Amino acid sequence: MNTQIDSSFTPDALVVGGGIAGLQSALDLADQGLKVLVVERQASIGGHMIALSKVFPTLDCASCITTPKMSAAAHHENITILTSTEVEAIESAGGVHHVKLLQKPTYVNFDKCIGCRLCEYACDTEYPDPFEEGLGAVKAIAVPFTNAIPQKAVLNAEHCSTCGTCARVCPTDAIEFDQQPRRLTIATDAVIVASGFKLNSITVKPQYNAQRSQDIISPLTLERLLAPHGPYGRVLRPSDGKIPGSIAFVQCAGSRDESIGVPYCSRVCCMYSIKQAMLLSGALPLADITIYYMDIRAFGKGYEQFFQNAKAMGINFVRGKVARIDPLDGGDLSLHVENTEEAENPIAERRHDLVVLAQGMIPGWNPAAATPVACAADGFVATTSLTAPTATVAPGIFVAGTAAGPKDIVDTIAEAGAAAMQASQYLFQKRAEALVG
Amino acid sequence: MSEKNENGLRRQDEEAQLECGEPGRDEAARVERAMEAARRQEAAEHQPEEEKLRIGVYICRCGGNISDVVDVERVAETVRLIPGVATAKVHTFVCSDPGQQTISNDILEENLDRVVVASCSPFLHEQTFRGAVARGGMNPYLYEHVNIREQASWAHKHDPAGATDKAIRMIAAAVGKLHHAAPLEQIKLPNHRRALVIGGGIAGMKAAADLAGRGIRVLLVEVSERLGGRLNERGAVYPSERSGDELVADLERRVRRDPNIEVLVSSQVTAVSGFIGNFKVQVQPVRPDAKARVIDTTVGAIVMATGFRPYVPRNGEFLYKNEPCVVTMPEFIQLMRSVKPDARTLTFGKREIRKIAFLHCVGSRQLDGVHEPQPDGKLNTYCSRTCCTTILQQALTVRERFPQIEVFDFYRDIRTYGRGEEAYYTEASKSGVVFFRYNGEEPPRVESAPAGRRARDGAVSITVKDTLTWGEELTLGVDMLVLGTGMTPGPIEDLIGQMKLPTGEDGFLQEVHPKLRPVELSVNGVLLAGTAQGPMNIQETLAAAGAAAVKAAAMFAKDNVELNPYVAAVDLDLCRGEAQCVTQCDYDGALTMVPMEVGGEMVERAQVNAGLCVGCGACVAVCPHRAIDLNGWRLDQYEAMVDGIAADIPGHECAADLVSIH
Ligand SMILES: Cc1cc2nc3c(=O)[nH]c(=O)nc-3n(C[C@H](O)[C@H](O)[C@H](O)COP(=O)(O)OP(=O)(O)OC[C@H]3O[C@@H](n4cnc5c(N)ncnc54)[C@H](O)[C@@H]3O)c2cc1C
Ligand SMILES: Cc1cc2nc3c(=O)[nH]c(=O)nc-3n(C[C@H](O)[C@H](O)[C@H](O)COP(=O)(O)OP(=O)(O)OC[C@H]3O[C@@H](n4cnc5c(N)ncnc54)[C@H](O)[C@@H]3O)c2cc1C
Repeated sequence: MNTQIDSSFTPDALVVGGGIAGLQSALDLADQGLKVLVVERQASIGGHMIALSKVFPTLDCASCITTPKMSAAAHHENITILTSTEVEAIESAGGVHHVKLLQKPTYVNFDKCIGCRLCEYACDTEYPDPFEEGLGAVKAIAVPFTNAIPQKAVLNAEHCSTCGTCARVCPTDAIEFDQQPRRLTIATDAVIVASGFKLNSITVKPQYNAQRSQDIISPLTLERLLAPHGPYGRVLRPSDGKIPGSIAFVQCAGSRDESIGVPYCSRVCCMYSIKQAMLLSGALPLADITIYYMDIRAFGKGYEQFFQNAKAMGINFVRGKVARIDPLDGGDLSLHVENTEEAENPIAERRHDLVVLAQGMIPGWNPAAATPVACAADGFVATTSLTAPTATVAPGIFVAGTAAGPKDIVDTIAEAGAAAMQASQYLFQKRAEALVG
Repeated sequence: MSEKNENGLRRQDEEAQLECGEPGRDEAARVERAMEAARRQEAAEHQPEEEKLRIGVYICRCGGNISDVVDVERVAETVRLIPGVATAKVHTFVCSDPGQQTISNDILEENLDRVVVASCSPFLHEQTFRGAVARGGMNPYLYEHVNIREQASWAHKHDPAGATDKAIRMIAAAVGKLHHAAPLEQIKLPNHRRALVIGGGIAGMKAAADLAGRGIRVLLVEVSERLGGRLNERGAVYPSERSGDELVADLERRVRRDPNIEVLVSSQVTAVSGFIGNFKVQVQPVRPDAKARVIDTTVGAIVMATGFRPYVPRNGEFLYKNEPCVVTMPEFIQLMRSVKPDARTLTFGKREIRKIAFLHCVGSRQLDGVHEPQPDGKLNTYCSRTCCTTILQQALTVRERFPQIEVFDFYRDIRTYGRGEEAYYTEASKSGVVFFRYNGEEPPRVESAPAGRRARDGAVSITVKDTLTWGEELTLGVDMLVLGTGMTPGPIEDLIGQMKLPTGEDGFLQEVHPKLRPVELSVNGVLLAGTAQGPMNIQETLAAAGAAAVKAAAMFAKDNVELNPYVAAVDLDLCRGEAQCVTQCDYDGALTMVPMEVGGEMVERAQVNAGLCVGCGACVAVCPHRAIDLNGWRLDQYEAMVDGIAADIPGHECAADLVSIH
């Protein structure tokens, strides 16, 4: 892994985003002998996947699947990784893509930092840990998380008290308070956009009142609660630390809804909710777990069987739309459910003490604004070729994973391989033409 | 060369001396020599050179997956007492970069010469840790992987003390095994830079075109007369609404024009042997009378793109074949394609259709006790992934072209999950398609209408308990019922048998791991593209084909194919040419008798083909002379492991007894 590069570095291909899509694309290019630069705006590669608990449909622990790919990329002789670096724009001319990067200051010299964490131990300023979805606390200077790559400390200037302790304890003089943002342009022949997804706001549906209760949570928060090395080491209600007894999953809480601008299906929510319900029922055998849904979309290989297993485990599946959620005084949450299956009480009030909203997936980055890549009406990168689903409208720029629409890890990985194939063919042909002409 | 010679320095030297001194000219002498060798091996096994070894043991918490149950600190303390163990460390994720770095550093800084990692299944991380060990400059096969997650913490969740004890014993076994380990080298085989793609649907054509686009030669074999597979005659496909024929034509043009691709239609692969980098394949014309020739050729990789077969309902299933107006989706698509562009009505067998129903999940998502099993006794429990959107696309098309036709849709869950697919559902609802939702446990009943009422009420009636209206039971007459039939595995039993390919519970070809190795089959060098793996739509099929192609391209980027060295090895000192191993061997060509000169005489001896041997060990079990063994898994290593496990460990103090194997 090499973090000090300048514009003289001209990789064969540049990958935007170091999530699982970006890493798989990079590996598949590098294994063919091509030089790749992976650019990730976060302090570690791994994307969303490294923060998940276990992953459907095999229930492998997410770290166990992600870390080998992260590590393989980090150690690959043909792969260079830049973290804390954002792709801001791409200008294409004469078949060359000039990719504009913004390297954010980490206030730590990565060439000197040995990842000993002495600064982290000595620092006495803490803030809510973004990796733990704000549930735990992290020091103002810290290695981002246990299995982060690179294992380098990063200082968060927003939360730093500038006391200077870290600089005093650092055995290698790696702390550099005067670091400035650095702009850099890399010229490359091919680009793979793997900029991933975000969840839309948890308050996107005002009728769910998420801003009024800490116990109406994001599914990413639940992933951390369920992770074996999560913030509490077990599942507790964020508001009062109680063990929840009755948990509700509200499906399509930010998708399939034209009124909020997300008419499409986010494709993974059914499956991750079923997975989370199964993991919860393992962690809290006494808890009552209900999934409120419109359609269960368990379409992938082995997914329907996964769903049937969840039913057999005693997880309640209620077909009905949750119209409103009201936080009650005692801490409970009241759900108003239109249940089409029970004639006796079609509109029922159900009480739970923890509610998970299946927020919708939206694009992680909008490349249309600053690159030759176009986006479709759904906001994700447009792909128009009939036979090459990973080609964008811009020659030499390809797309993989959730940057081209919601999808699970299995489909993301396949698409990443396809994008790498498309890009390597493009490079191969370009070079062949250069030789001829 | 004799395997056991490589066990340790001292033994190697002794062996060399003995061999010089004993020419072994006659049978008696040879037997004596063999027995002597066996005795020596025994003796050597019982005196491992523990003092000399410096073994590093790394114990993983796996977040908490292991350490929540297994007392990992105690494990470390205990195994540190085992002779030969130089260091034992605990890490939260040994697989993470810092974890791996610790191993590489320790090898250099603490002079380790053997490494054990006790963590998850070797399936996940054996390769990872071999890499870390190699980066530290050590032979990667002096590494042992111990699975204390699946086999200790997960299996004995409610018995932490027992799980901890088991973890210690398993590590002791690995340490014992390492005392007998020899450095091994990967097997390097020549790599024929050419691929065979079986199946000329869109998956096969895409994989072929991608490989050829990288300058790799491809042989594309299609059993039917034409390329395109199931997309031929499909008409406009969702979500692009462009013609499937256009897509097929586009790909076909590319594969036909590319000089790197040889296309053989009406042909089948009749024989496959060999191994990764070097498969011998035979391709024959489907009809023997055809003038086409039989081709015998060599390829380095094989892509399975044999696709799917549409589900065909049993006779009588929802009155299929009993009532002509009950048709499958492919049949309905043909009907729609046969309609003249200016037609105002849709007719079927001279009858005008006024009411039409679509039924989802026919032959898919089958439930035990509800659906009748397939002829093989199995249920199609899986979702076919493409039927929902296909139905809604067709329903919408009917409403748009023939607004007078009433369209009813009977579903369990609408699965318009893909990009651009939900719009079909929304549009179909807006266009007036009427939806009924049934529970999987209570599928709709289809009955023939009485003769006199067919003209008015429709030829069949459908009775459903509609869960959209609180389970109300409704009966509806229609003129046509379209069964939303799904996908089933293609008829490739011959290839599956011949190539020993694994299939899943659902009958489709089974990948090694859905996330780690999603397009690879457990047979090295055989890749998976498209619906041969399971239901997929066009985009997913094309992506899977690209993913398969990229794996082949990466494989061809190297001059040699590199394989793990866990194959059988014959000790020519002990082999007496009885060929029991060859008889026992299940893998054609992996083990053969070959003439050779031993001690000045021409004899037949067993010989291993490293490319074909899978390291199953069946040969080892039958050899009466212990003349064949598995590199990396030799019998003396097993014995050392068993001793390690069986040694008594009442407490920390006694752990040192673990490897006092006497
Ligand atoms: C709660 C939840 C649970 C899930 N559970 C499962 C599961 O069990 N099984 C499963 O198969 N799937 C699951 N998924 C889906 C899975 O998370 C995704 O399929 C996968 O993470 C997508 O990977 P990606 O690389 O496309 O995107 P991401 O993981 O989002 O990675 C994109 C990366 O690009 C970076 N980036 C973006 N823009 C820029 C830029 N301009 N410059 C530099 N870097 C940039 C981002 O920082 C990010 O690291 C789950 C999803 C959620 C929300
Ligand atoms: C009714 C229906 C409608 C659909 N509509 C759509 C749609 O609108 N949009 C969409 O995205 N998807 C649609 N799909 C899915 C789409 O058909 C598949 O994704 C696609 O056809 C899969 O391509 P394939 O190459 O994997 O398989 P196939 O199309 O099945 O091709 C496999 C090929 O391999 C050949 N073959 C098989 N065995 C051998 C052998 N032993 N030797 C040599 N050749 C062999 C076959 O003859 C065939 O040509 C639909 C599916 C169905 C069932």
